[in-house]
This record gives sequence, structure tokens and C-alpha cells, in this order.
Amino acid sequence: MAKERSYKAQKVIDRMGKKLNRQIVGSLVACVHCGNCTDSCHYVLANPGDPTYAPAYKADKIRSIFKRHFDWTGRLFPWWVHAKSLYTDEDLEELKDTVFGKCTNCRRCTINCPMGVDLATFNRMARGLLVSVGVMPEGVSVVSKDQWEIGNQMGVLKEDYIDTLEWLTEEMQMEDPKSPGIPIDSMEADVVYSINPREVKYDPRTISDAAIIFNAAGEKWTMPAEDWDMTNFGLFSGDDDLGGGVARRLFEKVVAIKGKKLVISECGHGYRSTRCEGPNWAKQDVSFPMESSVITMLEYIKSGKIKVDKSKNPGKFTFHDSCNNARSCGLTEEPRELLRLVCDDFQEMYPNRAENFCCTGGGGAMSMSEYTPRRLKSGKVKADQLKATGAEIVVTSCHNCVDGLTDLIKHYKLDMKVTQLVNLVANALVIEKPVEVPVEEVAAPVEVTPTEVEALVLKGYKILVADDEPDFVTFVSTVLEDNGAEVVKAYDGNQALEMARKEKPDLMTLDITMPGKSGIEVFEILRSDDELASIPVCIMTGKPELRQLIYERAVKPPEGYVDKPIDEDSIVLNIRKILELDKGKVK
Amino acid sequence: MADSIKVKNCNLRLLKGDITDLDIESFVYYAKEDLALGSGYGTAISVRGGPTIQKELDGFGKIKTTEAVVSMAGEMKAKYIIHANGPKFQEENLPEKLKQTILTSLQKAEEKGIKAIAFPPMGAGFYGVPLEQSAEITLNTIKEYLSGETKLEDAVVCLLDNREYLPFKNKLSSLK
Ligand code: SF4
Ligand code: SF4
Repeated sequence: MAKERSYKAQKVIDRMGKKLNRQIVGSLVACVHCGNCTDSCHYVLANPGDPTYAPAYKADKIRSIFKRHFDWTGRLFPWWVHAKSLYTDEDLEELKDTVFGKCTNCRRCTINCPMGVDLATFNRMARGLLVSVGVMPEGVSVVSKDQWEIGNQMGVLKEDYIDTLEWLTEEMQMEDPKSPGIPIDSMEADVVYSINPREVKYDPRTISDAAIIFNAAGEKWTMPAEDWDMTNFGLFSGDDDLGGGVARRLFEKVVAIKGKKLVISECGHGYRSTRCEGPNWAKQDVSFPMESSVITMLEYIKSGKIKVDKSKNPGKFTFHDSCNNARSCGLTEEPRELLRLVCDDFQEMYPNRAENFCCTGGGGAMSMSEYTPRRLKSGKVKADQLKATGAEIVVTSCHNCVDGLTDLIKHYKLDMKVTQLVNLVANALVIEKPVEVPVEEVAAPVEVTPTEVEALVLKGYKILVADDEPDFVTFVSTVLEDNGAEVVKAYDGNQALEMARKEKPDLMTLDITMPGKSGIEVFEILRSDDELASIPVCIMTGKPELRQLIYERAVKPPEGYVDKPIDEDSIVLNIRKILELDKGKVK
Repeated sequence: MADSIKVKNCNLRLLKGDITDLDIESFVYYAKEDLALGSGYGTAISVRGGPTIQKELDGFGKIKTTEAVVSMAGEMKAKYIIHANGPKFQEENLPEKLKQTILTSLQKAEEKGIKAIAFPPMGAGFYGVPLEQSAEITLNTIKEYLSGETKLEDAVVCLLDNREYLPFKNKLSSLK
């Protein structure tokens, strides 16, 4: 009797037939099981003796379905070519565990395959088939839905995006009253700058650093008021419709404001999906050039539009190649050339360029918290690579890699920091100040010492600091009090909730690991409590578990986060950003 | 091509923008069985509307596919949100269920005395209903409903971008 097949399994098989193209079929049939690719994979290296991580094993999970249904050998002699079908919803769950949880689509196995088998291509196809019947990790569904409906993959609302850009402009103009800040939706700009939503939400310094560079170069540039997200979760989820929809929004926006060139901030998958895959998914010819901001910054220095002083970036640096930039787009030399121009001590990581290992956060892995332990374990090879460089700072041109590497550095207790080229270039800028011409009508400025200015910054705000490390509470409290805030303290989860209820703070900083209730539990209780839900929360943590709050979002995500170890500047910057942006909101 | 038609006393029109930011009496949210707002437009509803909306929804428990409930819209521009649990991800009998979900939403609005309602492209996007199919079912069903006895005055389909807008515009033109 023929085995019954579940409704969803049948849909997956039906759709597979429509997704097969020459490139995918070529990869599906070419494998000769030579095993050459096995040791290329970071999952294999971290799990010796577990064959389920081998690229050819993972590929066979998909290949066997293809053979059973679409290849004549498998239809006639299924036992001979190991053809196997999908029958139950459990089979789909098992396939999900492999295609989402055991492969980051990094393509390192591909470059070591003599037959040219590109596992990542059909792994992505398999992801897309599962997504089409609703089988996917929770984080993938959260992020995809945000990108479909809000237009960016972190659910940043238009008002929050605009507020952040305006706030950054004000910050820049406080430093330099003549700064043009960040122009929004200017028509006919030479450069339209698109970013990763992570920058608005958790790393606004990268936006202001880019703005400072564009302004120093005298660039006629702008950022779009909407449709500004250059990331594309379609690359990770395998959903070509999402890929096309997202790319089309960005392309149409550039055309609508008559932009002459699209510059993509430092992000591996954003660069690949916007510049390389986007036009295909969107089925659209793109009439303007697109480039990575790495190329733009390099050109500014080489042409003399900006000047840099590499001594401003002391320390020992290394560079991590993002898989999408290096293996899929060949962007390997320009970042190195730029890095050498802005720092003195650069040490290569081995292997590097197209041979580099994945940061372990690729393929959307940062959003799939159910696989976090697996991800961190597979990062052993990357951690060893980082350590062997002896560098203090690892530079990368990818936001995903920043998060992936940051988690590994914490997990493997490496004494390193992660940064991007945009931060180094901005820091190394030499801005020649024009000679000041005194203007008579201007009243003489009131003398205010820097300490007094700082002291005003958080005046009038009550901030609750919750962390189980007394030294940390003391440090953060001192920084906040020095800046004028009133501070209340809590040392465990229960106390944090009690103090939040009693004190009604304007903002709360929260650690993730605390005795009693963990920070995650405290956060979820806060968000579900009518009275407390609107207190802005800044997570301060050294734990990778933070990603769960950002990506799974059973409740509204935290307003900000700061990675431990923490310095004074980032505490003040992040707290100010949250408080400033919260000002206009209904409480 | 048409962006708007009149069906008896009610306008049926298309708008481009974010449905959760519309200045309209009510809008439909394509909800899940457990009525958890979740991400996407759900994020916008929780952030712009405040925590009272999810609280109110928690009181309804679970709803079956094609059913809908009406909640207040908190601090949003709209007054009501109609949370409709539509079919998802190629599920069985999708066209019939999608039609019924739209009808239930309209009936629920009517019961509340609502005069203006906005729909998203029902089921399209994340839940995978092809846009042409969504346009066909959404617009046909609304038109059919408005042709009967109703106190509704304004029915809107709000589309996020050109990609969503054009298939709806084509379909609306054919309904004239
Ligand atoms: S694509 Fe990367 S993660 Fe996936 S099997 Fe190949 S080497 Fe491993
Ligand atoms: S190297 Fe290529 S042919 Fe050999 S097992 Fe890996 S995928 Fe198959």
C-alpha cells in the first residue's frame, strides 16, 4: 500500500518541481561523495565524529527528495540512488533542523568541491520550500514578517527611524554648528545611503560616523525617508518573493528621489542581496550604480576628498572577511587597502579572503535562538582563528558578523573588540578647521566647563540600574549620577520589578543573568504589565542570549542594548538616545 | 485606471501606505489563532497603540480560522482593530477560507456600527497568498458584500508599496 503523505509534505514536493533550475539541478546531481568538502565546514570541525554535520550528508537530505521525485534514476531505482521522499510533518521538522540549524549557507564547502557543488544554493531553496508551508524557526518568521509589513527586518517604525536621524543630526550640530547633519530625502543627490536596521536600533554611531565622512568629503548625499533597508531576509529564508519585494522598494525609492548612486553600508548579506541578487529577484533592471561604502570611503581618501591620520587608531588590528562579501561577491582587497590607510598595525587572519571561516552568525543564524548553543559551539574554529592573530581589535565589513563575532568573543572569553571600517575612518579623519572670522552680533558665549555641560545631560531623569554584580552597579550608577541622573539600584530580578513598580523610573538598565528572576523574565513581565510596559529598557549584558529578545519578540523589543564590557561613553550615548527619542511619545 | 469605485452607497477605494498609520475608523489585522500581535503590523500595533490592545485580546482566548474579533485601537489613529484569523501558507481550501475571513471581518465591523474599514492585501506577503489571488478574492468579496444591505460608507484596501498596489489597481479596474 502506498504510504500516505501529509498535506504540507505534498505541497513542499509540488513546489520543489517549480523551484528547480539548471544551476540547482547541476549541484544536486554532481556530487560524487568524495568527502573533499567535509573539513571545510565549521560545524564539522566543532563536532568531530558527528556525520550529520558533513556538507554531503546535509546535501543528501535534499538531494534524496529530488532523486525520488524529479530524477529518472530515483524514480526507477530509488534504492540504488538513495532516493527518499517526505511523508510526515515530522519529516519537515527534521529537514528544518538541518537546513536552518546545521548550515549557515556560508559556501565554504563549495570552494573546496572539485565538482562545483553549491550546497548553499539548494539549501536556500529547501528553506524557501519549508517557509512556504509555514515551517521555520520562530525568529525567521518574526524577522520575515517585519520585513514584509514594516519594510525592514527589525520592525523599526518610520517615526523611530526619522527621530533617530534627527537626533543624530542634533548631536552632530552640537559638536559642529555648521554640520549639515543627515539630509533626508534630498532630491538628485549624488549618493543615496542605505543602511541595516540594526544601525538605527542598536548601533547609531555607525550612521553618524558615515554622515561625518560624507560631510567631510563635501558629498551631496542623502538618506531615504522610507524604504531605506538594504538588508534582505529573503536571502536567508529562501523566499524569493520577499527578496524581490524588498529589493524593489529600495530601487524604486532611489529612482523616486532621483538619486545618482546607491551606497550600501558595510553589510555582507545586504551588499550581496541588494547589488548582486536584488535585480534578479525583483526582475528589474537597475538604472543607477550600486557600491559598498568601503569602496566609497576608499575613493574619498585616494582622491584626497578626506584626509586621515592612522595614528588616531592605535592598537593591533585584524580583519574578518564576511562570507557574502568575500566568497560570494569578491570584495576582499578594498577593505584591506582601506584598513591599512587608517591603522598602523594590521595582522592577517588565517585562512582569509574566500577561504575565511564563517563568523557563525551567517544565513540568518543570529535570529534563530533555538540553535544558539550549536552556533556557539561551531564557533570554536573562528575563535581559534581570532586568538591566533594576537590582535586586540577585529574589523569586519558586515553587521551580521559584528554580532556573530561579538557573541563568540564573549563566549570564548577573548580579549578583543569588534569594529567596522566606518568607525575607524571617522575616527582617523583630519578635519582642517577654517579660520574663524568673528561675527559682531553674536553674543559672547557663556563660559561653561565640560563637566557642567555633561552634568546637565541626564538631569531630571530617574534611572533604575538592575544587575547582580555590585561593582557593575556602582560603576554605571556613578557614570549616570555624574551626568545628573537620579539613580535607584536593584541587585536581582525580583528587586528590579519591585523597584520599577515603586519608583516608576524614566528608564531602566537590565542585566540578563540575575538570580531570582532572570533579566529575560523580568523584561517580559515588565512589557506585559500595563503600568510598567512603557518604561524604556536598555539591556546591558555580556550574554549572547540577548539575541532572543531582539529577534523572537514575544513582547516589544528593548529600546537599546549595550555590550559588556562597557565604557562610560557608550553608557551615556545609549541612555541619551533612548531618553531623547522617548520624549515625544505618549506614555 | 481606477483607484476607487462606488458600490451602492459605499466607496471602495485603494490607498498606498502603512495600514496601521491610517486615519480611519477601523482596520483589519491578519491575526493568528492565539491573537498574539507578534511582529510586522503586530509590532506597529503594539508600539503605536500601547499595551492595552494585547491585554484586551488576551481576554478573547483563541479563535478559529475565518473568525474575527474587534478590539479598541489604543493610542492609534484608528478607533477599532478587527483581528481576523485568515488562512496561511497554502493551507487547504484557502480561497474559500479567505473569502469567509473577509466576510466575517465585514460582519464584525457592521455589528459594532463601524462605518469605515481598511483591509490589508489579505493573506499576501508573509502568509504567501499570491498578490493576484489576494486582489481577486479581497476585492470581489468586499464588492459582493457592499452590494447587499450595509451601513458601511467607506471600504479601503491599503497597500504598502507599488508591488502590492498594481495588482489591486488592475483588479479594481475590472470591477467597474
Ligand atoms: S555552506 Fe558552510 S555551513 Fe553550510 S555545509 Fe557548507 S561549509 Fe558548512
Ligand atoms: S566535495 Fe563536492 S563532490 Fe565531494 S562530497 Fe563534497 S559536495 Fe560532494
